[in-house]
Amino acid sequence: MAHLLSGGLQGYVAVALLLFVIGLATVLLRRTLLMQFMGMELMLNAANVALLAFARWRGGDVQGTVTYLMIIAVAACEAAVGLALVIGLHRMRGTTDADRTASLKQ
Amino acid sequence: MFAVFALITLLGAVLMLLQKNVIQAGLCLALSFLGVAGLFVLLGNPVAGALQVIVYAGAILILVLFVIMLLNHHEEEPAERARPLQRWASVVLSALLGAGALALVLASPGLQALGAAGTPVEPMTLERVGTVLFRDHLLAVETVGLLLLAAMVGAVALVKKEL
Repeated sequence: MAHLLSGGLQGYVAVALLLFVIGLATVLLRRTLLMQFMGMELMLNAANVALLAFARWRGGDVQGTVTYLMIIAVAACEAAVGLALVIGLHRMRGTTDADRTASLKQ
Repeated sequence: MFAVFALITLLGAVLMLLQKNVIQAGLCLALSFLGVAGLFVLLGNPVAGALQVIVYAGAILILVLFVIMLLNHHEEEPAERARPLQRWASVVLSALLGAGALALVLASPGLQALGAAGTPVEPMTLERVGTVLFRDHLLAVETVGLLLLAAMVGAVALVKKEL
């Protein structure tokens, strides 16, 4: 337990795993589309933590940071398009509840 | 220091999961993102830490909060119908996944060997990242730029009432 809290590789991977599970639980348990979106952002972040932790223990590999840059660019694209879809859905249906918007058809 | 930032990150994430108000959940998510930025700085990677604060805690989260305020739905709507089985199944399966993965990480000899071999590294600099980015990954950079443009055009087209 002590080596987990002192900031070794296993500690970082454990934090990344717990973050991923909390994000997954948010997507599964909350019904608001915006909350589910935030859970997805959390899962992406968990992957980033694991990626950069492994890059550091491989001797400060630069490729990890480069991949992180690509991931946040894709996350920004996903945020823009996903939020535009939520706004469009709210305009059409007047709700952002995932249960009430199970189909995209009018 | 690691324990403090890990605690901030996980606490923000759990508070987001439990929060009823969507705006307050967004603010808890900001706390979690800032904790992750702290973890990146502790990993000897201040470039990633700064990017985390600027892009995630700055741009993406502000966009989410703007949309929440635009839609004016701060509370979760009452459920169309209760789904107790699905809710309990998701809680149990998430907990099982978390516990199983954590046990695997703690028991893994490969991770222990890799962690023990860790030598002190010099902090990441923007110069090193930029050199590798534009020397080895030029095509990827251009593709990501094109992808961002496509996402921008797509977002405008989706939100516009009539094209």
